[in-house]
Amino acid sequence: MDTVAVIFGGRSAEHDVSIVTAISSIIKPLELTRRYKVEAVYISKDGAWYWGEELKHISLFSTGKITDYIRKTNPVSVQLDGGMTLIKSSGIAGRKTARKIDLVFPSMHGTYGEDGALMGLLDLAGIPYVGCGVSASAVAMNKLLSKQIVSACGMPTTKYLSLTKNELEQNPAQAVKSVIGTLKFPLFIKPVHLGSSIGITKAENESELRNGLEVAAHYDDTVIVEEAVTNLIEVTLPVMGNDQPVAALLEKPLTKSEDFFDFDTKYLGQGKGGKKTSTGKRGSQGYSEVPAKLPKDLYARAESMGLSVYKALGCSGIARVDMLIDAKTEKIYFNEVNPLPGSLYAHNWRAAGYSNVDLVEKLIVYAKERYMQRKSLATSFNTNFLQQF
Amino acid sequence: MQVIVDGLLTNYSREGKGKIVIILHGWGDDLRSWRFVSESLSKTYQVILLDLPGFGGTQSPNSPWGLSDYASFIAAFLRKLDVNDLYAVIGHSNGGAIAIRGCADAELKPEKLVLISSAGLRGEYNGRIKAMRMVTKAGRAITSPLPKSVKQKLRKQVYKSIGSDMLVAEHLQDTFKKIVTDDVRDDATRIQVPTLLLYGAQDEQTPPYYGQTFKDLIRDSRLILYSKSGHFLQIDRPTEIIKAIREFIS
Repeated sequence: MDTVAVIFGGRSAEHDVSIVTAISSIIKPLELTRRYKVEAVYISKDGAWYWGEELKHISLFSTGKITDYIRKTNPVSVQLDGGMTLIKSSGIAGRKTARKIDLVFPSMHGTYGEDGALMGLLDLAGIPYVGCGVSASAVAMNKLLSKQIVSACGMPTTKYLSLTKNELEQNPAQAVKSVIGTLKFPLFIKPVHLGSSIGITKAENESELRNGLEVAAHYDDTVIVEEAVTNLIEVTLPVMGNDQPVAALLEKPLTKSEDFFDFDTKYLGQGKGGKKTSTGKRGSQGYSEVPAKLPKDLYARAESMGLSVYKALGCSGIARVDMLIDAKTEKIYFNEVNPLPGSLYAHNWRAAGYSNVDLVEKLIVYAKERYMQRKSLATSFNTNFLQQF
Repeated sequence: MQVIVDGLLTNYSREGKGKIVIILHGWGDDLRSWRFVSESLSKTYQVILLDLPGFGGTQSPNSPWGLSDYASFIAAFLRKLDVNDLYAVIGHSNGGAIAIRGCADAELKPEKLVLISSAGLRGEYNGRIKAMRMVTKAGRAITSPLPKSVKQKLRKQVYKSIGSDMLVAEHLQDTFKKIVTDDVRDDATRIQVPTLLLYGAQDEQTPPYYGQTFKDLIRDSRLILYSKSGHFLQIDRPTEIIKAIREFIS
């Protein structure tokens, strides 16, 4: 039985979302397969790693008991021994527990996880892992780079401008002037690296633009400003696979046209359509139309573009491609790629015929397949170089 | 929505059109508990809700803040949003004390003020505070040999049992200490705008006599007491307080 470590949490603004993805959409379904020994590995907000059975329960986090847990528990050590081994000290007579990990299922959103940082560590350790590799993760999590690549591949993106935090701090008036001189309102201002709509502002005027730039620069060293698409239909396409990716269903969030799908709408459920949670609030699931009701040709073009973007960025395992459609012209624009969709977008895969259990099992197969492909590549090159010394 | 105010990432919402009304929540609370009131008022007003520094989605202040710091922050927040004509301020509990300080110091210049279960009277707690200090000092000595996690737990239970909000926001303990010793009686006498005072008859945190005291201190004020209601009138009597606010500010 393979031991799968699900790594979640981390030093990211999306720390909390990652916990829900890990526990509800990865750990539980993996345990239901009864084919894997599942280890929960939680990275705290300050970067310490913890490993334990208690971390599999959402109540530990939702009740705030995680603070006590961290206070009482020793962080785990990670040994890179031609693979990866977790080592936990019990604190009693120096006794240690070790667990060799066969495969990692990253469940990290945002910085130091979804952006390729964790994948780099896992590549160095030489261990298979689920999802996109280092370069695809890094590119996908950079809204500027991904736009440049997609654009270079001949696919349309909305008109945009990027600014560094330094430019914004040194001469904010000039930054605002350059945006207004280049782009037309309404505009979206985004930190280049963050997901889950964190730090995004929609600006209708100069004052909102100025404030939005400050907010985005508070989160990131580079900010991107994009023109909004008129007559907007926002769609998203979950995709999985390696060389021959398959798409789930095109999904359309049902927000009002004047709103955008912000963090609260996605995860805290402020509105009408969603399913009520135990606290009486509504979740995001009811905000989406799956599959999106679009003319057949438009649907097919959007699906095809989503798959092309997935390949162009070198994604593997799983990702979600967001696109914007102008309903009048039926022109489709690339928006962004999310290399680890929140909760794996399991609700969409379910509608496409894959249960949550099917989904995690498939992702593990893809992880092993890519690992074997990479393993077969030559990593050494014999030379006489050292002999001259 | 977010905005940077005095270097702090500040979470807020703004809905509706018309004259501008801002709602200030209480200690340990955040803007979410005022959404129902805000949704209703936003049919005829532009309602701004914000998470005060240290609560909800707004960053904590870098040093201990008093009521004046919070009032200055709100003024800076409104300037950032280009709000020049503030029509009404609604403050609940500690948000009420901040509103009183802000209006007295002319940091906030609304035409109407609504104080719901407003805090800000400190003197009569002197005896209780002294007793609480003695209890906590004695507790600290007794529990000193215990592990940190156990001490923390006991401390929380003690503060909860004596009805103190000290550990409601653990990261703001020094700010809390500063605020609970800051009395707004003098400030209340300097308020010139019409003021509506709403209190719950069963409120233990800010009992009805707080309302009566403020009524005596604020020249143009009227008081409504709600029977069978506690400190959180927005939960106990949402429809009634919305009606009273509407009638008062219209």
